Amino acid sequence: MFQTPSRTAIFSPAILAAVFAFLVAHDAIAASADVTAVLSNSNTAVGQPVQLQIKVTGSASARPPGAIAVDGLDIRFSGQSQLLEGRNFQFTYSYIYNYTVMPLKAGTFKIPPQTVEAGGSTLRTPELTLQVAADSSTAQSPRSKSSASIDPSKIAFVELTLSKTTAYVGEMIPAVVRVGFNVRTPVESLGNGAEITGQGFTAQKMREPRQTIETIGGRTYQVFTFKTALSPARSGKIEVGPVQVHAVVRIPRPNSRSQTMPRDLFDTNDPFMDNFFRDPLFMPSTPQEVKIKSEQVTLEVKSLPPGAPPDFGGAVGNFTLSNEVKPKTAQVGDPFTVTATITGRGNFDRVTAPAFEDEHGWHKYPPSADFKQDDDIGISGTKKFEIVLSANERKDQIPAQLFTYFDPAKEQYVTLRAEPIPVRVEGGSAPAATTAPAAPQAPTTAPSQAPRQASQQEILHQLTELPAETQSFTPLFARQSFWLAQLIPLIALLGFVAWKIRVAHLNNRELQRREALQHEAAALQRSLRREDVSPEEYFSKASRAVQLKTALVRNVDPAAVDADIAASTFGMDEATRTRLRRLFEKSDEARYSGVGNGIRLLPAETRNEVLELIDNLRS
Amino acid sequence: MIRVVHICAMLVTVVVAGSASAEEENLFVSGNAAYSEARFQIAVDRYEAVIHGGNWHANVFYNLGNSYYRLGNFGKAILNYERAVALDPHHPEADANLRLARDEARALELRKDWIERYASMATVKQYSIAAAVAFWFSFFLIAHLLLSRRRSAGRIALIALSMMVCGVSIFAIFALENGTRGNALAIVTAKEIEARLATADNAKSVLLLPAGSEIKILSERGDWVYAALPNDQRGWIPTSSAERVRM
Repeated sequence: MFQTPSRTAIFSPAILAAVFAFLVAHDAIAASADVTAVLSNSNTAVGQPVQLQIKVTGSASARPPGAIAVDGLDIRFSGQSQLLEGRNFQFTYSYIYNYTVMPLKAGTFKIPPQTVEAGGSTLRTPELTLQVAADSSTAQSPRSKSSASIDPSKIAFVELTLSKTTAYVGEMIPAVVRVGFNVRTPVESLGNGAEITGQGFTAQKMREPRQTIETIGGRTYQVFTFKTALSPARSGKIEVGPVQVHAVVRIPRPNSRSQTMPRDLFDTNDPFMDNFFRDPLFMPSTPQEVKIKSEQVTLEVKSLPPGAPPDFGGAVGNFTLSNEVKPKTAQVGDPFTVTATITGRGNFDRVTAPAFEDEHGWHKYPPSADFKQDDDIGISGTKKFEIVLSANERKDQIPAQLFTYFDPAKEQYVTLRAEPIPVRVEGGSAPAATTAPAAPQAPTTAPSQAPRQASQQEILHQLTELPAETQSFTPLFARQSFWLAQLIPLIALLGFVAWKIRVAHLNNRELQRREALQHEAAALQRSLRREDVSPEEYFSKASRAVQLKTALVRNVDPAAVDADIAASTFGMDEATRTRLRRLFEKSDEARYSGVGNGIRLLPAETRNEVLELIDNLRS
Repeated sequence: MIRVVHICAMLVTVVVAGSASAEEENLFVSGNAAYSEARFQIAVDRYEAVIHGGNWHANVFYNLGNSYYRLGNFGKAILNYERAVALDPHHPEADANLRLARDEARALELRKDWIERYASMATVKQYSIAAAVAFWFSFFLIAHLLLSRRRSAGRIALIALSMMVCGVSIFAIFALENGTRGNALAIVTAKEIEARLATADNAKSVLLLPAGSEIKILSERGDWVYAALPNDQRGWIPTSSAERVRM
């Protein structure tokens, strides 16, 4: 049976490896290629070789330089290696080319820049200098020093750089602190980082440093760069620094095995030389604390010039101001939110909310502030103030806003003005509290209660009535009583419907009765037209027909109808009334006295006369 | 026998209710006396006792608001004036003192939208009655229409009008109950509390709320409430710094 691969099978390790390889290749390609060159020692003696390493980083392909020819030095290619390094999922591919440099004579030699092709671009190594002494005793090498007596200045350095050495009080001065550690003595801990000592200034908190690898004076250093900003607090000369760093580095230990290794060029006891081309992480080493500090930097600080505007709050730098308001229309007493945005570069901690040019008729609430910095050290960015205003009277614009700062470049105070914003404030003036009747004055012998503030307005007096009926916060529609009360109209509706149905039903019975009477009357009239009816039956049916027609008109019982009722119902003349009366008499005679017995059939004239009489019964 | 037990139970209930009512009335009177003697904190305690006894009346909340006002606690004063107005929307004294307290505290008010402004022409109670009357009237007319032989256009139009009145009333009730004066209305009782973007004391501030400011509680999470603010924004404030108007 054919089976489709499961979903989990699709994500096999092979695919993950492919993704990983793609990431590696992608990062390796995306990173810009770089090349460094380093000598294992810049001082040596004739006959004592040193190692030259050229490292190409950030390229998936590289071509090493050709033969390196320097008069007095025998430089030979000794091998190459490849290195894949990953940090925080950032992968870097490196090619390392090793050369052995054998000095043939004493002197100062310069190894010229070498051309390396990497990733389609051409890179050049820095020029390297090698001092070669005539014999080994004069060569400056730290190999004879023990690890305990290592000079920290050869392991690490720290330097402080200020962007300017002349500033005004409060001005923000970017500062850079660089701390470098020789790559052969890898740093294990930076302690509390770099700390700028000194008085008369404040420094921004330093963020995480940026790390780079740099070659300085023929040595390779891992350099930590801290950025901060200083703000002088007083005028005069201020000594900034030194910057002190207490770090722990790993000092390589002498390794006796290296004596026996082939091509051990660095022999004996030099911690810098021992296992030079091995990864420091895998070298036997000892942690050791080193204390390093930088030189001091003198900063000349000038006072701010006199004549600052009254609204100057201490902001020094270069800023711009804009504002907006929401909503555009409101009632008297309703809030407007004015957003003032100050953008620029300077001491934002001293940037305060812009003042309103004319606050008359407005009530201003304390502003809220939000600062979004654009750099690492917080001296450039945008600070937004939200100020809530409520109008006490009709207004047509939000007043202009003013913000004053000192510009150190122009060396003068600058006042920014945001123009008034048109708005509409509707409604009358604020409710007049003075119209309220005054409350009874409190006795002067009041106990130790919180005193009423003098500025408070008089409120209306207490109420003494406490109705027995308890009130509820529950809305009427959510109360049980409301829904119970709905039973009343519901019952009324049901009653109404029942009554209407009953009326309809009763109307229906009356209708049926009338239809039965009409039906009977029609049947009687049909039988009266027949000739084979006996006289007693004929008159009986004729009188019944008259009763039915009268009952239908008067809506009464047919049995209760006599000749007079029928005549009056139909408005008959006297002659017709007499004929009708005779019809009823004949019917009674035929029914009770048997007068008609023996007569088998009525004459046709008599039948026609009776039929005509009945047909003419119309209201 | 059962009837006798029922009667006894009713009598006991009436006697207990009567004594409780008398006790609360005594508290109310003594609260008024304490207020007139400028012992406002004692007055507050007495009125609070009346309220805790379940005897809620606009006058009690109004007097309690006055006592808090005299103590300088504008947040609580405004809260109790609001409660008085919530119980009795036509309480002129509470309405007047509420305005004074707001003015004194510089309290911020929630802004009504246009629907709520129009719906505020009547109270929820009036809309409820109107909706019920219109509903039943329309049903009576429909029943009459269905059970009679004559079906006039005027009667059908009357039915449509009644149903429209019912619908508009229900919509107005919904707008008022979910509006700024609805069941989510709360008053800031703490002095100048910061409304924040998140449930943390160091979160970014949205608005500084003076005591007595109105907020509309949207949701609650632990010790924080998420509320609509007077500046048309939303923010978190500590639960303990605001109280709902409706108890």
